[in-house]
Amino acid sequence: MLLSRVADRIYWAARYIERAEDTARIVLTHGYLNADLPGAAASPWEPLVAITGSEFLESANGRQQQQQQQQQESAVASESELAVARFLVTDGLNPSSVVSCITNSRENLRTTRDTVPDEGWNTVNDLYLYLATEADRGSDRRVRQRLLSRVISDSRRLDGVLAVAMTHDEAYVMWRLGRALERADMTTRVLGVRAAAVLSLRAGSNNGPEEPELHDEVQWMGVLRSVTALQMYQRAARSPIEGPLVVQFLLEHDRFPRSVRALLREIRRALRELTDPDGPLDAVDEVEAVLRQSSTATEHGADGSQLDEAMDALQNAIARLDRRIAERYLRVGP
Amino acid sequence: MTTPAAPPSAPWDELRDADGRPRPAAHELLAVIDHLGLEELRARQAAATADILTLGITFTVYSEAGGIDRAWPFDVIPRVIEATEWAAVERGLTQRLVALNRFIDDVYNDQRVIADGVFPAELLADSANFRSECRGIHPKFGVWAHISGSDLVRDADGTLYVLEDNLRVPSGVSYVLENRAVAKRAFPELFARQSIEPVDAYTDELNRLLVSLAPDGVGLPSIAVLTPGVFNSAYFEHSFLAQRMGATLVEGGDLVVGEGDRVFMRTIDGLEPVDVIYRRIDDLFLDPEAFRPDSLLGVRGLMRAWKSGTVSIANAPGAGVADDKVVYAWVPDLIRYYCGEEPLIPNVPTFRCLYDEERRFVLDNLRDLVVKPANESGGYGIMIGNRATDAQIAQAAEAIEADPRNWAAQPILQLSTAPTLTADGVEPRHVDLRPFILTGETSYVTAGGLTRVALSKGSLIVNSSQGGGSKDTWIVDLGAGWGTY
Repeated sequence: MLLSRVADRIYWAARYIERAEDTARIVLTHGYLNADLPGAAASPWEPLVAITGSEFLESANGRQQQQQQQQQESAVASESELAVARFLVTDGLNPSSVVSCITNSRENLRTTRDTVPDEGWNTVNDLYLYLATEADRGSDRRVRQRLLSRVISDSRRLDGVLAVAMTHDEAYVMWRLGRALERADMTTRVLGVRAAAVLSLRAGSNNGPEEPELHDEVQWMGVLRSVTALQMYQRAARSPIEGPLVVQFLLEHDRFPRSVRALLREIRRALRELTDPDGPLDAVDEVEAVLRQSSTATEHGADGSQLDEAMDALQNAIARLDRRIAERYLRVGP
Repeated sequence: MTTPAAPPSAPWDELRDADGRPRPAAHELLAVIDHLGLEELRARQAAATADILTLGITFTVYSEAGGIDRAWPFDVIPRVIEATEWAAVERGLTQRLVALNRFIDDVYNDQRVIADGVFPAELLADSANFRSECRGIHPKFGVWAHISGSDLVRDADGTLYVLEDNLRVPSGVSYVLENRAVAKRAFPELFARQSIEPVDAYTDELNRLLVSLAPDGVGLPSIAVLTPGVFNSAYFEHSFLAQRMGATLVEGGDLVVGEGDRVFMRTIDGLEPVDVIYRRIDDLFLDPEAFRPDSLLGVRGLMRAWKSGTVSIANAPGAGVADDKVVYAWVPDLIRYYCGEEPLIPNVPTFRCLYDEERRFVLDNLRDLVVKPANESGGYGIMIGNRATDAQIAQAAEAIEADPRNWAAQPILQLSTAPTLTADGVEPRHVDLRPFILTGETSYVTAGGLTRVALSKGSLIVNSSQGGGSKDTWIVDLGAGWGTY
């Protein structure tokens, strides 16, 4: 027996924590990537904002803080790095920032404590308290790295706690659904923004002798790392890194837990554990149809804008699936 | 009629006698505290406070910005009561709640208590908490106030009094259990070497009670805890109790009264029936159809369902008729009337201005009394004789003469103190105690209860929303053979 309201809160608790984890990894790996690239080839920070589907809005207060911090730390971080990192990690006014997502996830778990095991609540509450004390120092790179690593590991700890401490009933299915759907969405966003940017970089160069080196492989490694896929990609590909293969891997690999194909399978499996899942399952079929089209369109290489467009279509299909799940299971009221 | 004692100079201390020697039940505790020293005691307080944060033990404070979740205030030094004294308190509270429940059942049915001249009819007619919608209803076992919390205070001579009864939606019991969890971490050595009665059984007893209330013919009932929602100051407790009982925590919007006047929950698989509701919403917000039509918290048709017997509600709607200040003054009489026994725990002596003899006494002794209007709550209109100006005294006298029925007076009590960790070291602070009583076919009283402490020097305000704190309450059994370590 699961109240629709509780189902909704758990589903969103899972989506928020997954979004926090994925955003944390994107910001963290982008910092590492740029550390590897010579200044002229550095990958810009601003496009990361688009990954989270946000518009870059900064409060006056935020800007003032930024200026103060820059005076102290201009030697260690660029202006855009500071601004983007703050927006994506600690900005309470950005509803998709890591801190906002953790806050929302905690609130949802606080209000479902009769259903979710205490250990799960304690994990997210611990993380929340940690962020509350550390977030102010997030413009210091080393503090930021530690903080983001903690978000990633605690998010995974929470998954582990629930997997072994919670009855695998409908409530747990809601958790799995929220996780998988958000994760699939984030993979398409990384492809649509980061991978598309790398492709555009290549297309815009004439490979002349004046051109700075593009460091393609390093860039693609950055894309893979931002969805924790580098090692598994290499194991699957057994060859030097190639853009189109990376895209195929993240879309189509049916066993890699962050590829869209594998996530759709997980969503299907979860839905089949619920009663009357036909509506949402139809929506999964539709996402799969769009995925097939996207894969075909990008299989033999695509330019940045083609990939971006294909990913937009996939995101829209995922959003329709989310609506079908909400209509069927999460809506409170007649 | 006894004359109230003049306020003595020093309040009673819960842990030390008048000469500063540890009371027997507090001997071990005070020895350990002395041994630890102030610095270690502060370290243990800090660890306890950190535990409270990470365990998420909170209460909600209202503010203009909405509800704020605050860490529960806890003082690490427990309050100790000897087991033999507590056994007597348990018997007294059980007796009191049996009488109060018989009174509620009587006023909604035969009203023998009025016919027999024990309780004045006009007072019932005036009662703000009497619900005419409840006339003629017989809840299971004749019990209306299943879960109650009575506030106890101890005067300077060591006598425990019942200060008030809370029969509607008393809160605080979750903190009794959580305070114990924190205290066990703070003083493991003391739990190892003495016999301290456990408190954890409460939620199981509550569950047993709620199961017993299920409508006839229901096997294993579906139990829901009905909360006003996440902004309620006691939301933590509602969630805690639901979790510990395996019950479903619901908000008004999760419930609907459907076919056959049955109550259902809205689940992902459609409507599922509910058999027993432990409601933490006030009567008037329970059902917009029966009470306040503007209530968004309740469930339309809930009273209809309850009256038709398809669902049990604890506490029963209308139970609050027995916990206002007017009825309080009659409780000793009600115990004699319904139980045929003398009250085992005294009321604070209360002079009812309605009666000539008592009114004359009040008017002659205004300086030594607290004068309270019968139908106001939240401290409004209270006159404390020893702090009042001559004009205020005269004003009170005038008000009493004009409308005697609306006034009652009590002696000024000296609340007891307990050693408490403050910025200035360990100092006495005033405390009260709220035990919780479960009443159904049988009765159960918590081992101890929630000790609330006024953290500022000299203050009597123990409410957590106004700077009050709490303490774990230990019922120590000296006869268990562990006392002489």
